[in-house]
Amino acid sequence: MSQRLTHTLIQKMAHFYPMAKRWLHHFHGGIFPQYNKSLSLQQPIKETIFPEKLVLPLKQTNGQKIELLVQIGSYVKKNQCLAQAAKDNKKGVIVPIHAPTSGAIEAIENAPFPHASGLETLSIIIKPDGKDLSIDNVLKVSGQAPSHPQQLKTILLNAGIVGMGGAGFPTFAKIPNNVGQIHTLVINGAECEPFITCDDLLMQTHACDIIQGAVMVANALGAENIICGVESNKPAAIQALQKAASGTNITIKEVETVYPMGSEKQLLQELTGTEIPVNTHAIDNGLLMFNVATYAAIYRAVTLGEPLTRRLVTVAGFGLKSSYNVFALIGTPFETLANAGQPTQVIDYPLVMGGPMMGFQVPNNQVPVIKTTNCILVNPPETLATEMPCIRCGECMEACPMNLLPQQMYWHSQAHEFDKVEQLNVFDCIECGCCSYVCPSHIPLVQYYRHSKSAIKELRTEQKAAELAKQRHEFRLERIEREKQEREARLKAKKEAVKNRAANPAKDSSESSSQPKKPSAAAAARAAAAKRAAQAKKQPPEESQASPSETTPSTIASEAPRKIPAARQKAIEMAQKSAAAKTGSKLEPTKDPRVSAKRAAAIAAAKRRTQAQKSTTETAKVSETINHENKTLPDKDPKEAAKKAAMSAAKRRAQAKINTDSTPPDSIEKQAQPSSETLESKPIDKRQKAIEAAKKRASEHKDRQAKQQENA
Amino acid sequence: MMAAIIIFVSLALLFGLLLGYAAIRFKVEGNPVAEQIDKVLPQTQCGQCGFPGCKPYAEALSKEETEVNLCIPGGNEVMILISEITGLEPKEMDEKVTENKPKETAYINEDVCIGCVLCIKECPVDAILGATKLMHTVIQAECTGCEKCVPVCPVDCIEMLPAKVTVENWQWPEPALKPTDHTVEKNKIGAKK
Amino acid sequence: MSSPTRLSSPFAHNNQSVRNLMLKVQLAAIPALLVHIYLFGFGIVIQWLLALGTLILVEYGMLKLRNRPILPFMTDMSALITVTGLVFCIPPGAPWWIIVSGTAFALIFGKHLYGGLGYNPFNPAMLGYAFLLISFPVQMTQWTLPAELSNHFIGFTDAAYLIFTGSVPGIPIDMITSATPLDRLQTALFQGVTVTETLAPLSQEPSNPFLFDLNSWEWINIAFMLGGLWLLYTRSIRWQYPVGFLGGLSLIAIIFHTIDPNTYPPVDFVLLSGGTMLAAFFIITDPVTSSTTPKGRFIFAFGIGILVYVIRSWGAFPDGIAFAILLMNITVPLIDQYTQPRVYGHRR
Repeated sequence: MSQRLTHTLIQKMAHFYPMAKRWLHHFHGGIFPQYNKSLSLQQPIKETIFPEKLVLPLKQTNGQKIELLVQIGSYVKKNQCLAQAAKDNKKGVIVPIHAPTSGAIEAIENAPFPHASGLETLSIIIKPDGKDLSIDNVLKVSGQAPSHPQQLKTILLNAGIVGMGGAGFPTFAKIPNNVGQIHTLVINGAECEPFITCDDLLMQTHACDIIQGAVMVANALGAENIICGVESNKPAAIQALQKAASGTNITIKEVETVYPMGSEKQLLQELTGTEIPVNTHAIDNGLLMFNVATYAAIYRAVTLGEPLTRRLVTVAGFGLKSSYNVFALIGTPFETLANAGQPTQVIDYPLVMGGPMMGFQVPNNQVPVIKTTNCILVNPPETLATEMPCIRCGECMEACPMNLLPQQMYWHSQAHEFDKVEQLNVFDCIECGCCSYVCPSHIPLVQYYRHSKSAIKELRTEQKAAELAKQRHEFRLERIEREKQEREARLKAKKEAVKNRAANPAKDSSESSSQPKKPSAAAAARAAAAKRAAQAKKQPPEESQASPSETTPSTIASEAPRKIPAARQKAIEMAQKSAAAKTGSKLEPTKDPRVSAKRAAAIAAAKRRTQAQKSTTETAKVSETINHENKTLPDKDPKEAAKKAAMSAAKRRAQAKINTDSTPPDSIEKQAQPSSETLESKPIDKRQKAIEAAKKRASEHKDRQAKQQENA
Repeated sequence: MMAAIIIFVSLALLFGLLLGYAAIRFKVEGNPVAEQIDKVLPQTQCGQCGFPGCKPYAEALSKEETEVNLCIPGGNEVMILISEITGLEPKEMDEKVTENKPKETAYINEDVCIGCVLCIKECPVDAILGATKLMHTVIQAECTGCEKCVPVCPVDCIEMLPAKVTVENWQWPEPALKPTDHTVEKNKIGAKK
Repeated sequence: MSSPTRLSSPFAHNNQSVRNLMLKVQLAAIPALLVHIYLFGFGIVIQWLLALGTLILVEYGMLKLRNRPILPFMTDMSALITVTGLVFCIPPGAPWWIIVSGTAFALIFGKHLYGGLGYNPFNPAMLGYAFLLISFPVQMTQWTLPAELSNHFIGFTDAAYLIFTGSVPGIPIDMITSATPLDRLQTALFQGVTVTETLAPLSQEPSNPFLFDLNSWEWINIAFMLGGLWLLYTRSIRWQYPVGFLGGLSLIAIIFHTIDPNTYPPVDFVLLSGGTMLAAFFIITDPVTSSTTPKGRFIFAFGIGILVYVIRSWGAFPDGIAFAILLMNITVPLIDQYTQPRVYGHRR
């Protein structure tokens, strides 16, 4: 009783001292802007407007892989599923998109997306045919209320429902998996932003849907309490809700009209008295909150199997003669809706998505309505007041609902001292705009904080990347060092072996003295042989015959610019002999290690050839021609040979590229690795072009190098 | 007179002993200044400062053998941090270090690559994947943009491209300079990392 | 962006601006100005006009030198507050070069050289006043006698003569100047006269029944208090400032007066003498130089109150407000660091 008395007293005082209203709510700060809600509350909800075309962006909040279920030209009916998460999508927070009305898919291309950045994203463009044919119960629900959270989650996922208050987080992901984790369900009917009345009208006209939706969710989750918070400037909505909630255990609570009452953290503090601790979510504290529109959508999904394809949108502003609310189809361009409100002047200025406090200017007025569009603001631009320096008055601090120090954050972010900004808890900022609203110097504080947040994130990733780069660099230095030392050790061992052999010729046959050196020598020999074999393998197969000829090994040898020192060679021979003696097997007639390498190379080449021949015949022909070309030219100069190798490789690659280009793209993601396994016959001119390009580049490079040498 | 001399001499001896003891007892191993400087350098290992990597540059700075304004990828911000750590005077950056230049990474044009491994050998952070006569490609996540691979490629197939801006990595721009303030210094860094 | 629209939300704003704020403060000082004219003559008007002239010249010159846009900074009225504060602090009959040099010093060294509006750590008015007090102590302590005491109302022409030439033709200077009550108290204490003896004659002065037994200086203080209360109501200043300052001052005054009533003046005298109310509502509330957190502001004001009393009782100057404020200005960053409020969701 005394609470109500103080309440009334404070309200009376507020006539003389407006800021006394701050004592009426339980969170810190808050502002009382001009609401102008009466502009759009006047009319009844308009009939759905069918635009020329519907643009459905495929961009989800985290940009994960999505799978299209339709193609250009397909005819779709209302509620038909158009795209869903790809099978291999790991993160799993993608919701499907459904057709808002029947029509043909005109295009699937990049189109502007309502985001402050102005970037485009891939979208499905539907041309409505006006018939509005629909598929009923596309979610195939039984109409029964779900008894377990998992059931509810499945329905919500398939229905494509996201948080319709503005955040757009997929609803199914927000609901916990188990019963009993939530003790209080909260319905957010606050709608604190100026101009917006869509939630108000929804509550007035669809109160039953909202209440039933909330009851369903509460029963599925085992939540005992349900509270609904509605601001005191919506008396009709409160009445309607109370009427619909009679008989249920839902409490409709009237809260003060202050911005930002509708913010999750603030409303929870107001309704339940608890603050959500930093770095936790409401769900972790047993509370779950959704917007009224989300509940209504949930109700329709569960009982009618209807996915989310339309939402109530307020189209309001001083630039319209008659502001209104409409059940807009998802995908309707903004301009269509704005023009339906009788604009006072031609709309050549950017429209705003959202309210004046947290909305953003859309880059292009053709952007579509998405699931989180609650308002299209049509306000002709006003001249900006001059920004003055900060006078440290502290109004921002007093208005901040999170009790931050906007002033200090501003000073530090201006000076780029982002670590101090982080210490001042900038990541707790909900970007409500109260601080900028009250700033006498007209400083765009929220933009500074948005920039700071992204700058801090970027700095963190840069630091991590720098750390990683440092580690990689150090590892690389270590690796080089290690290889060097290994090489030296091997060299030393060989030298020792040679020395020993030279110093003790009598002990040649005896294995005892050279025993400890044999393994290392043998290993060295093996390593050298393997290396040469690998070298030979990597060179393009020059021979097309089955048997290795004498010419090719010599070419391999000449191309590999490597002269094996005589001493080393002798040591290798010795090692092999003794190794063969040890094993007891006959010494292989491999006097020249190059021969064994030759053989290995030949075998490898043959294998490859058979593989190639397994593919289409033309492939072999093509490779034959290449090989013939290569074979005919004399390859004495290693550089020439290298160039030839380059060209042939380039040719092959060009062919492969042409191969992959012809196949239609299966997935939306552009893979950067062309497959080069199968070679098919392709137009010769493309190949020629690639060869020419490579030749040109090589010559250009040579010229440049020559020039540099001249200048130096 | 004698008393004064004796007193001062003994005071000097006392303080000398104290300082000597402190120098030995509290001696710090290694070179902490170099470590500190290395922490603030961007670790691209590009060599544009003239030293073969960031650590050598840091060590030279700690011995005050070189200038503070040589790190190009770090830019003005790193120069100021270095001058704060070493106590040297901040200097103007030599080359025109474009502010807010978007980070560029290397891309190998696979049509042209000949698989010569020269770029692999050059990359200071081993960000190029490949082997002799096999395709080379740059691991985008590891590339630091040091541009060391670009001049060594014999077929000139590597180019530096800026990262694509998508809706995910778009950033809010900083509010434009106040109309009433002409000379806001953008590079004041107050805190050491 | 070519069009001058805001890039980021919010796209709405209340009708506050720096100019509005400063104008409100200026308005609130008018009652005190009127009382001042009534009691001390038109001296203050001439001083104020002189100060205004200096202000315009100095601001224009400094903005030009600093390459800043002239119009927004000249019309934000913040320098006007500085000037008003300074003008109230100096004797209305002081020579013209006092106010000119004081204003110039306050604006140049107290504001522009630090970076202009919002960047100065020291209160410019108090800096100017301290400069004058230390450089020209004689002129600064020779206060005009209120009309009721001198039986001569200093009209406009008289004031002009006094200010520009140093004397009013036909009237000896001693007749119209004297020390302020605070000054008298201090001198008397040095000479061993007790407080009660000093203050008694002040209250027994031939007073107009209009004036309720209070002397002129006290009336001016009351006028300032009324203006300040209006500022509180319009939320141009915060309650932490006057409550902290007056609270601190009263507390220490009560303590010491109880200990020794003969050496320490009573609370009502302390609160209504000198520039106490002016400071409480107009000077320490300067947002640029004071603390930025609510708790911090209270501590800041409280500190000033204590320091004022200390300087008055045991310092060399009769009215220690300027120095108290300057000292606390130095401690503001420290206070800010330790009085950060608890953010939503954090435990402390």
